[in-house]
Amino acid sequence: MEHTRLYETTFIVNASLDDSQTDAVIGRVQDVIVKNGGAVNALTKWGRKRLAYPINKKTNGFYVNVEFTAPGPLLAPLERAFQLDEMILRFLILQVDKKALAARAKAQAAAAAPPPEAPPVPAREPLFKEGPADMKP
Amino acid sequence: MITTRKPRRDKDSQMPRKKRTCRFCDAKEIYIDYKDDKRLSRFVTEQGKIIPKRITGTCAKHQRQLVKAIKRARHLAMLPFVSDAIR
Repeated sequence: MEHTRLYETTFIVNASLDDSQTDAVIGRVQDVIVKNGGAVNALTKWGRKRLAYPINKKTNGFYVNVEFTAPGPLLAPLERAFQLDEMILRFLILQVDKKALAARAKAQAAAAAPPPEAPPVPAREPLFKEGPADMKP
Repeated sequence: MITTRKPRRDKDSQMPRKKRTCRFCDAKEIYIDYKDDKRLSRFVTEQGKIIPKRITGTCAKHQRQLVKAIKRARHLAMLPFVSDAIR
């Protein structure tokens, strides 16, 4: 019995590629996922970011985050694809665990329901009805 | 000779300990995301070292999650392993 599980991967693409080449790399990753029976849920490109330490002597990287559902046997070919692709510098594949799912569900519920409006401050009656001229010493 | 003991100094009355609550518990966070490097960088020294929980006031459960998240972020080069601190 194959379960499909929710996974998340973040990977760093060589930043010196231009847009079409970067898209080609991302397309290759998506192909591997789909060919092996997975489905991509979401794809976010974070864009170019400075790396905290040089990787392969490069100081910038193009970060991409992909969320997908896949059966277990997908992971081996996916990792292999990441390893072999020279344009991908680092990758991290994680299973989205229960706590992350719960946190996401909570965030979605909070976003879906409109944020509670602050109750309007009731208009107060002026404290002093008469002006200072009326004040008796 | 009867020896009497000096009464111990009552620390609890003289120096009550501040109750530092874990900020994640206060916000009722379930999951600390490794992708949030701005937030994680607050729990890391200038040298890049992870700050112990006795200083940040984090509870043990959240400290474990935090450390895991920091290490993942380090793998993805979002946080440094070591950074040069100005001595």
